Amino acid sequence: MNAAPALGALAEPNRFRIVELLRDGPRPVGEIAARLRIRQPQTSKHLRVLGAAGLVEMRAVAQQRIYGLRASTFRDLDSWFRTFGGIWRDRMDGLDDYLRELQRPKRRK
Amino acid sequence: MTDKTRIRKDRARRELIVERTVRAPRELVWDLWTQPAHLTRWWGPQGCTTTVYAMELRPGGVWHYCIRPGGGGTEEWWCKAVYHEVERPSRLVYTDAFSDKDGAVQPGTEMPTRVELNELSGGLTNVVIITRFPNEQALDDAEAKGMVAGFVETLDRLERLLPGADHA
Repeated sequence: MNAAPALGALAEPNRFRIVELLRDGPRPVGEIAARLRIRQPQTSKHLRVLGAAGLVEMRAVAQQRIYGLRASTFRDLDSWFRTFGGIWRDRMDGLDDYLRELQRPKRRK
Repeated sequence: MTDKTRIRKDRARRELIVERTVRAPRELVWDLWTQPAHLTRWWGPQGCTTTVYAMELRPGGVWHYCIRPGGGGTEEWWCKAVYHEVERPSRLVYTDAFSDKDGAVQPGTEMPTRVELNELSGGLTNVVIITRFPNEQALDDAEAKGMVAGFVETLDRLERLLPGADHA
């Protein structure tokens, strides 16, 4: 995965706050703006950037535009992120498993 | 049961600190880090095979290895480390880097790494691995430095956001 667009979009603090808010579930633009005290045109702009980076997706319900997190992108980001600290995490599990194998008491017949 | 791996970042020092306590005497853990026959059994990643081509366990000595995916994959990840401190059984300091099969290091990928093995009571050993993020010293350009700093910060925030990530 190329994580750069998503990380770039998240680097802006208000966009990060929007993503944090949407973790609890999809919300209409007006509600996002009101909760985060960001003007609505600004909020829409941020949501467009987040949308272009694949982090959020929009659903039109009646007159409202509802924005929610796009799960597949976060799953990709998660697996990408795991390769960072995750290499060592896996390696330590490997070390622990191998130590157990080496030190396993010999079974009596 | 031994505990889980803890991973945290020291942002000021730009270090990734990995910590794990294992149930084993310190000498055995040391052997696992410093003997190819042992190392290749756990270095991983899972499903990959590690082959050690050199392991000159002394300051200035070279540790050259290659990681290959199992299952017919053809990629090869060559790494070359140079040992700086070898103090059995407690301290191993080296600089790891990506290289080619002849040991020519890819510039900018050097990662200074410190392994500390602390003996605890009850037959436990505390393993601490401290790795410095690559590139930082190599960057003279202020803008590039800012980009890397922003990137690391974003990673930190992302870490809090992702459900599977570590909440240290």
